[in-house]
Amino acid sequence: MSNASATHPNPERSSQPLVSVRDVSMVFNTGGAQTIALQNASLEVAAGEFISLIGPSGCGKTTLLRLLADLIQPTSGSIRIGGKTPEEARKSRAYGYVFQAPVLYEWRTVLANVMLPLEVMNFPAAERKQRAEKMLALVGLEKFAKHYPWQLSGGMQQRVSIARALSFDPQLLFMDEPFGALDEITRENLNLELLRLWRETGKTVIFVTHSIPEAVFLSTRVVVMTPRPGKIETIIPADLPQPRNFETRETPRFFEVATAVRESLRKGHGFEVVE
Amino acid sequence: MAQNSASPAQKPGPLRTFLGSETARWLLFATVSVGAWEVWARWYNAPFLLPAPSRILGEFAKSPTLVLTNGWVTTQEILAGFVLGSLIALLAAMLLLVLPKLVEDFIFRAVITLNSIPFVALASLVVVWLGVNGIGSKVAIAALYAFFALVYHAHKAMASTDVLKEEVLTSYNSTFIQRLRFLKLPSALPIIFTSLKGAAMAAVNGAIVGELFGAFQGLGFMILDSRYVGNTARVFLAAVFCTFVGWLLLGVLAVLERRFVGWHLEMTRQA
Repeated sequence: MSNASATHPNPERSSQPLVSVRDVSMVFNTGGAQTIALQNASLEVAAGEFISLIGPSGCGKTTLLRLLADLIQPTSGSIRIGGKTPEEARKSRAYGYVFQAPVLYEWRTVLANVMLPLEVMNFPAAERKQRAEKMLALVGLEKFAKHYPWQLSGGMQQRVSIARALSFDPQLLFMDEPFGALDEITRENLNLELLRLWRETGKTVIFVTHSIPEAVFLSTRVVVMTPRPGKIETIIPADLPQPRNFETRETPRFFEVATAVRESLRKGHGFEVVE
Repeated sequence: MAQNSASPAQKPGPLRTFLGSETARWLLFATVSVGAWEVWARWYNAPFLLPAPSRILGEFAKSPTLVLTNGWVTTQEILAGFVLGSLIALLAAMLLLVLPKLVEDFIFRAVITLNSIPFVALASLVVVWLGVNGIGSKVAIAALYAFFALVYHAHKAMASTDVLKEEVLTSYNSTFIQRLRFLKLPSALPIIFTSLKGAAMAAVNGAIVGELFGAFQGLGFMILDSRYVGNTARVFLAAVFCTFVGWLLLGVLAVLERRFVGWHLEMTRQA
């Protein structure tokens, strides 16, 4: 990795945010009715942070991630990624995106799947193979390079998908509930693996999840979102010591942060009942 | 964990392996069906209606060059028509992906309309336009048949790729050609191969129909001519030769299919 010696990322925000979201709203027109998927969202993310977006369905967390990735365009507001618009950032291949499902190509071997972005981006053939093999080793799947995705378990497939997103060494990693479909045990293992990757690579991660423990365990800050209309309720710093491990989940501070997130989610829910 | 398709605990002997093979099953099928035909035809004893296989073989022995020369002409028409029609269909299917929706809609209506014209009528027109002499008009008809058997399915398969798989490529800022090369074409290949087999059979039909409408050589001409002179065995001989050409084509396609979409065959076997 280019940044293997990276020290623990600084959770405090530096003066120049890597990602800046200002007053962004997203309105979908669905069959004549308007749905406000996201209302006046503002957020700044410093380089090296691990940010979780958490909230119930319909709170706009996936919408926000898709806006950052330029997979959809906002109705209003502005987004900057390293000073660029999302479209410019996408065109300069500034981010890797991990979807809810692994979305691997069944006709490609595991290795060829990890090489896909490198082929699209015209990396030289030798470098493609070298990088992909390194990425597979990073997610512990080097022995499965020649397998096809459908010969792997769901957890392994999702690791391939993470290797693919990292293969071209983007600064930013967007992850949309990547472990949502996995069992608790696999999920906790992959959480640890993800944190190790994050430490070793010094990437900035924006991570969507439904799970409070997952958000608190992984993040430097947790962005709590509430539905109807989707908006950012609060941003809670998860100031647990780094590096995190299995014991982290058993510390009092972990419970305090998790409780704060839970209460904030409930508060957001209360508004919905009044409405 | 990785799964490999379960294999039986003990390895079967060479005889069992042979009996389980594709070749053995074809041999068994051929022996039983040809044998039954032979018995039935001899018992029925009306060679003008149903000649026995031995009689058809005798017809071949009488003048092998007749069916071989005519068969070679038809084979050329079938192959040229199949390759031409399939290539044009694949190109058209890709082109339809980039054309504006309105144009795509218009062209598809045209395809459906042409498709509803009885093919026999279309074939007779092509003979009128391109002439009876040479193989040109027959190649064109075989190509037409193959084209229509392939174009719709190939286009549909490439136009309906998984949205998420498309977004993966969008996030890498890919060009249209890259989306075609890395996603649309490979994901459509299983359907394309299935349709190609249909197109091969259609090309066989097209070439014969073309020859029935206007030709002085080829198996279709041989069928017509033999019928006029009441030689039913020779009609059968031509038909059998056609079947062999069709099988050959299907065999080649099956080999190509295993080469290019082996992953799909294996995946569906495992599912």
